[in-house]
Amino acid sequence: MLVAAAPVTVYKVNKGSIAFNSDAPMELIKASSNELAGLFDASTKKFAFRVKVSSFEGFNTALQKEHFNENYMESNSFPYASFEGKVIEDIDYSKPGVYNVRAKGNFTVHGVSQERIIKVEITAKPQTVSVRSSFTVLLADHNITIPKVVHEKLASEIKVDIKAELATQ
Amino acid sequence: MRYNKIILLLCIFFTGRLFAQEPAADTTDLMAQLENEASDKDATNYTSATFKTTRLVNGHTVENAAKGVLDVKISHRFGTVNKGAYELFGLDNATMRMGLDYGVSKRMMVGFGRSTFQKTYDAFVKYKLLRQSSGKRKMPVTVSYVGTIALMGMRWADTSRKNYFSSRLSYTHQLIIGSKLSEGISLQLMPTFIHRNLATLADEPNDLYAVGAGGRFKLTKRLSFNAEYYYQIPGYKVEGTTNPLSLGFDIETGGHVFQLHFTNSTGMTERNFISGTTGKWEKGDVLFGFNISRVFTIGKNR
Repeated sequence: MLVAAAPVTVYKVNKGSIAFNSDAPMELIKASSNELAGLFDASTKKFAFRVKVSSFEGFNTALQKEHFNENYMESNSFPYASFEGKVIEDIDYSKPGVYNVRAKGNFTVHGVSQERIIKVEITAKPQTVSVRSSFTVLLADHNITIPKVVHEKLASEIKVDIKAELATQ
Repeated sequence: MRYNKIILLLCIFFTGRLFAQEPAADTTDLMAQLENEASDKDATNYTSATFKTTRLVNGHTVENAAKGVLDVKISHRFGTVNKGAYELFGLDNATMRMGLDYGVSKRMMVGFGRSTFQKTYDAFVKYKLLRQSSGKRKMPVTVSYVGTIALMGMRWADTSRKNYFSSRLSYTHQLIIGSKLSEGISLQLMPTFIHRNLATLADEPNDLYAVGAGGRFKLTKRLSFNAEYYYQIPGYKVEGTTNPLSLGFDIETGGHVFQLHFTNSTGMTERNFISGTTGKWEKGDVLFGFNISRVFTIGKNR
């Protein structure tokens, strides 16, 4: 009864992109995916986002993409990277504005989960919210090892940028 | 529009009541919801990296160079190890093939090479007819066709008779049926037809048939064990030749693949190693050899 009275509060990603770059002394590698999917329930503050690892495009060579999937991310065994949890701040998203919040939850890459608090900028408009976030991921945190021969070509810390437009359905 | 909203409200009303008792399950619900939505529009996943490179040892795998990628291959075979210490177990002798492969499209690759063995020039085209995939469209195997033409470049031994240019040519047609069974194991079958315009002896067949089988077994992420064998069909083989068997390792480091192997064949083009191998493993006619592959992206990346 209580829920029925409340407005629709589940936002779904209509357009989401995620990009990463590895800035190593010898090589800069960039890749991105437009297949970021996600849901955010403003009433419970809970969210779930995920992206298919094999959907990343870009890279410097086709072989690099193959190695990304085969040797590092092992996308056959761990097809998705995900982040699910809860927003810490209480925000009334029905009021348009820009809010800086912290998202706390389990960040899973390569089958290894880490509890993370990630800063997110949320822009609220009527019926829609857009989110932006930039953070870094340590490969070692997710059990991804860099062989010695590519030490100079692969950064141990990867920068990630996320942009998504969410709307109520 | 209004009806939609009413239905939605009703849904929320009922689900709200259903889950009112157990609010703790909510977080997993969002993820489960995402998974449900994704499964129906999930695209076809094409299997990649069935083999590390386009050659197993001597012969082709189902793999192609990616579009716009030039693959430079240098292949070496030393002499047979049973020559003993005097010839440093074969290392005093060497035959080699220099080759260039190029990925024309996602499915097509072309290449040519020159071997010191019988001064052979070869050119091939390889086309992926079927691609192994899972998801929306399921296909258990990758099937490639390889057509090779080889030109024997040696001066004719017998100049007293009329020698035709066409006599230097031979053709090979292969279907390569491969499957990545798991992350670690890939297998393939290679039915092969070889036509030689000129047979060495009058009673030898010009058309030869063989069936190959091979596979790779990953030992670590960057190291695999490979095996390749061709069975020549009796009656359609050259007398005195043996079936080629090759065993080796693929070692991958960044843009290079090193293949180290032992084989009883000296030749590195299909006609020479499938139908022209004379070495016998049991007699120690085994050669050490290696292939080095280095890829260069020369075409447009996407």
